[in-house]
Amino acid sequence: MSDPRDPAGDRRRGASPIGPAIGFLRRLRTGLEAGTEMPVALAGAMAGLPREARTVLGRAAGRLGGDYQEDEWGLDEEFAEAVFPLFEAMYDRWWRVEATGVHHVPAHGRALLVANHAGILPWDATMMSVALMRHHPLPRYPRFLVLNWAFELPYVSVLMRKVGGVPASPYNAQRLLEQDELVAVFPEGVKGAGKDWTERYRLRRFGRGGFIELALRTGAPIVPVAVVGSEEIYPKIGEAKMLARLTGAPYFPLTPTFPLLGPLGAVPLPSRWRIEFCEPIETAQLGAERAGDRRLVLELSESVRDTIQRKLYENLVKRGSAFV
Amino acid sequence: MAGRRVLITGISTPLGTQLARRLEADPQVDYLAGVDTTPPRATLARTEFIEADIREPSQIGVIPRTRVDTVVHNNILRRPRQGMSPQTAHDINVIGTLQLLAACERADTIRAIVVRGSAGIYGSEPAAPQFFTEEMSRLYPLRTRFQRDVSEIENYFAGYARRRPGVTCTMLRYQPAIGSSLDTQVTRYLAQPVVPTYLGFDPRLQFVHEEDGLGALVAAIKQPVRGAVNVASRGTIGLTRMVRMSGKPSLPLPSPLFGAGVATMSRIGTPGLSPDFQRLLRYGRAVDLRRLVEDVGFHPRYTTVQAVEGYLASREDAARALTADHRRPTTATTP
Repeated sequence: MSDPRDPAGDRRRGASPIGPAIGFLRRLRTGLEAGTEMPVALAGAMAGLPREARTVLGRAAGRLGGDYQEDEWGLDEEFAEAVFPLFEAMYDRWWRVEATGVHHVPAHGRALLVANHAGILPWDATMMSVALMRHHPLPRYPRFLVLNWAFELPYVSVLMRKVGGVPASPYNAQRLLEQDELVAVFPEGVKGAGKDWTERYRLRRFGRGGFIELALRTGAPIVPVAVVGSEEIYPKIGEAKMLARLTGAPYFPLTPTFPLLGPLGAVPLPSRWRIEFCEPIETAQLGAERAGDRRLVLELSESVRDTIQRKLYENLVKRGSAFV
Repeated sequence: MAGRRVLITGISTPLGTQLARRLEADPQVDYLAGVDTTPPRATLARTEFIEADIREPSQIGVIPRTRVDTVVHNNILRRPRQGMSPQTAHDINVIGTLQLLAACERADTIRAIVVRGSAGIYGSEPAAPQFFTEEMSRLYPLRTRFQRDVSEIENYFAGYARRRPGVTCTMLRYQPAIGSSLDTQVTRYLAQPVVPTYLGFDPRLQFVHEEDGLGALVAAIKQPVRGAVNVASRGTIGLTRMVRMSGKPSLPLPSPLFGAGVATMSRIGTPGLSPDFQRLLRYGRAVDLRRLVEDVGFHPRYTTVQAVEGYLASREDAARALTADHRRPTTATTP
């Protein structure tokens, strides 16, 4: 071979760490110029790289060739694992999360996590996932119900479903519970997401208790979760109704940094977080037929709300100062 | 269930012909008739071919004379055929169904009607239930012409079912089909040299493998149930994953430009994408299969991923056979 980009030559020069990288790029270019397709060219160019880089690139090439798994809901575990370090960094460094009561979450079978909620981006749900994956003896990815509006957005919709987000609809929640999944819901809904700074940690109405009906119908235990810290990351001081109507968003928040700093305004403030998973409330013994009992549903809904509100205040006191 | 007499409309479509073959091999079926405007391409052993246009009452009026007990309506077009106007497709779908049902009203031997309808009635919506069950056909407004057609067909059919309680009326709601012997929107979409997608969207899609589609139809004929039943292969596949598996380069277009982009591509020769299919590419759709499994008793044999894999593999084989054919004459001419 008289080709000046002889791969063997690259391997001889591969002593410094930059050597293999350059060799890799050269072989990749040779492969592509020879008319092979991207995944094949990537695989071919990988010979001569250290093993770790080879596995990573191998996976990347596999994904480009469509070789990855998504479950029927669109959860992509490999993708979720790949972005997990980012969430872990947020968990450890940015928000310094302290999680308690993780053992209250059932290790298998269906269960409904019910939490307070603030902000459009489901940071609280992702931090709950990290807490579970980190501290639970038998970790599993919870599915979380996401504001429907997010599923109309490019990229956001894909990201959400790949890490376990599902459009907020009772049909979806019921099917997930019937498949014995762990499901996180935020019954405050849009009303919770649009809370003012002065209203933080004051729980809104829990809808009409739909999540209780779900738990009763499927016999899933309810685990109330109090998340402290999430309601300070985007301090909402106003609302732009016109912009909300234009973008189709449920509301358009004004914070000290958004939209003043543009996309930078989407960077959440580094508040200190505490997540408490409370004792589960069993519903199986009540029976599925009680799901139609309005009084029971509203009573249970109110008691779950009270539990979360009480735990929020407790954890606010335990946490002390919000940011330092 | 022995001694069945079955009439199939749309006998000359690939699925219609395959269904006739399957039923011909079934000893429980005594008589088979097939209706279409053109005779089927493959020869059928004991199916009586009736050349008739289902839109014409004078032609489709032969149904009572055949004394069939089951009518399979397999003549609903997912998109206009080559060179067919959308108006004609609408006529065949809506007026054809109307006239067919009118002819069935006059046939008192009929015990069951099975319609191969479409899951397109659910639409494709951003925050829809991730698995539509049969009761959810009215959740969203009907946005496209095809959806309105399907809805009209379902309404006529429901009306017929109310008037004739003695007839078991099954409405099968099919997801888009995929298979090597089929020419559907999905196979055409994947056959393009460059595959257009919506920038930043990766919807969950669900298809029905051609064999599952046929199997479900046979099962519904054997065991007709009342009302709507979803038909699809199991599970879903992400659009991005499917396009990557096909090895085709994708062309991500921002959503405001997508319609114009596809229209431009179709002007230079690629098959256009129907409005329904365009919405499917943005938001996707999957259906719940519990009724198909539990009531009709049909277990789909394939997953959607397997259906796509199987189709892509068969296409690769065909392409390899084609290049081999091309190579042979050139080697022969070189001395």
